[in-house]
Amino acid sequence: MALKLSITPMKMPNFPGFQLSSHRVSMSSTIHSPSVDAGKVKKPFGPREVRVQVTHPLPPEKREIFNSLQDWAEENILVLLKPVEKCWQPNDFLPDPSSEGFEEEVRELRKRTKDLPDDYFVVLVGDMITEEALPTYQTMLNTLDGVRDETGASLTPWAIWTRAWTAEENRHGDLLNKYLYLSGRVDMRQIEKTIQYLIGSGMDPGTDKNPYLGFIYTSFQERATFVSHGNTARLAKEHGDLKLAQICGIIAADEKRHETAYTKIVEKLFEVDPDGTVLALADMMRKKISMPAHLMCDGADDNLFEHFSSVAQRLGVYTAKDYADILEFLVARWEVEKMTGLSGEGRKAQDYVCGLPPRIRKLEERAQARAKKSAPVPFSWIHGREVML
Amino acid sequence: MASFTASSVSISSAFCSFNQTQGSNLRKASVSFSGKSFPSQRLSLPRFRVSCAAKPETVNKVVEIVKKQLALPDDRPVAGDSKFQVLGADSLDTVEIVMGLEEEFGICVEEESAQSITTVQEAADLIEELLEKK
Repeated sequence: MALKLSITPMKMPNFPGFQLSSHRVSMSSTIHSPSVDAGKVKKPFGPREVRVQVTHPLPPEKREIFNSLQDWAEENILVLLKPVEKCWQPNDFLPDPSSEGFEEEVRELRKRTKDLPDDYFVVLVGDMITEEALPTYQTMLNTLDGVRDETGASLTPWAIWTRAWTAEENRHGDLLNKYLYLSGRVDMRQIEKTIQYLIGSGMDPGTDKNPYLGFIYTSFQERATFVSHGNTARLAKEHGDLKLAQICGIIAADEKRHETAYTKIVEKLFEVDPDGTVLALADMMRKKISMPAHLMCDGADDNLFEHFSSVAQRLGVYTAKDYADILEFLVARWEVEKMTGLSGEGRKAQDYVCGLPPRIRKLEERAQARAKKSAPVPFSWIHGREVML
Repeated sequence: MASFTASSVSISSAFCSFNQTQGSNLRKASVSFSGKSFPSQRLSLPRFRVSCAAKPETVNKVVEIVKKQLALPDDRPVAGDSKFQVLGADSLDTVEIVMGLEEEFGICVEEESAQSITTVQEAADLIEELLEKK
């Protein structure tokens, strides 16, 4: 039995081999992408979430928790932001157009990227597209009760964090976009189209306006992107593009810092409301951490996301095992196993969450053992060249 | 005589004596056989797969595995028509139940078949079908 678990890292790849359709429909199997014929697009705005979307406002007593944590957030979370003057900018890692040596630097860049394999590009492009869908993620943070940016320039620590986080993330997509553009190895128009579709589709991770769920989700995601970019950095180095390795590495470093921030928030929530937080963790894990880019569509491949995830799995950039490892990491980080004094429901949630990583690993082992070899698949992102899944 | 609900109905030739007409769609209708043989020309049957109900031992084994997976108390009534979801299984549980059945019966369940199993009876029927094929 081939099992496919749709998991998402921020940019998490969905790993093939693993498909659990929950009460929440697994998008990778139900996407109705526009048909290949561009003239007859049935759904011009791209795939939509199939799940019925119902939201519940956060109860006032929970909202109050986030109000009361504002000072704490200012002292413990905002300090994890990097002052802009100290931040790297994409230009630091790209040929500088205003310099004499620009054209030579571009030639060197293209020499380096000439020999990067197609399957690597597929994964790098998928990651870049995910980063470029940033508007969706800022939106998602602003759906959360108690912490949303009410005016667009609100001065609560939560709102300041969200805007500054967005600003830091913005450089990731910009940097990868420009690098890929200059490389000449990819079909930028197809990629740009995919990005437009993806931002248009949005995403609903099931966080239900609830910052407990929201910050658990982002904790998971940031760690996933850290893992993912760390792997693309390693592979770039193996393939001889040290500059690209540096780029992926610097992005991974940001993600790590963001992971620290979000896990710190959830750690505080565990301290202040242990029962509520462990229930939220179990809830999020039952819903499964969905991929931000699971609705990706390029107008050419009906199973684009699935195909992209398969390649990411095969290359070891982001795998089902990583999903299990991340969950296990977070369970340990938040000391979920050691929690006491929980309600009956809380204990059940605790058991569920602590027992989940080995179950996922077992599923993944079986899926790997049964994995059937499939034919290579063309990706429009690389001009239709084919890549093994 | 058994009555069949035709969501998954496979004809067992030893049991029923009519010819199946090949069609591409499963017609969902409940069909009951009263023991008379029917002339095939009167029935325009789409392709049916009628499976005889699985042996009680098989059903019981499935019940055992389901109860274990879902940590249900022994006295909780679970029967052929019990739906996994109603018993509290999420998708991960269902997959693990199928895995448990594979191990127990030494069979291999294809993903498409696994996804169509929603009740104890369906699981038992599929198991017997796979055992027969071996």
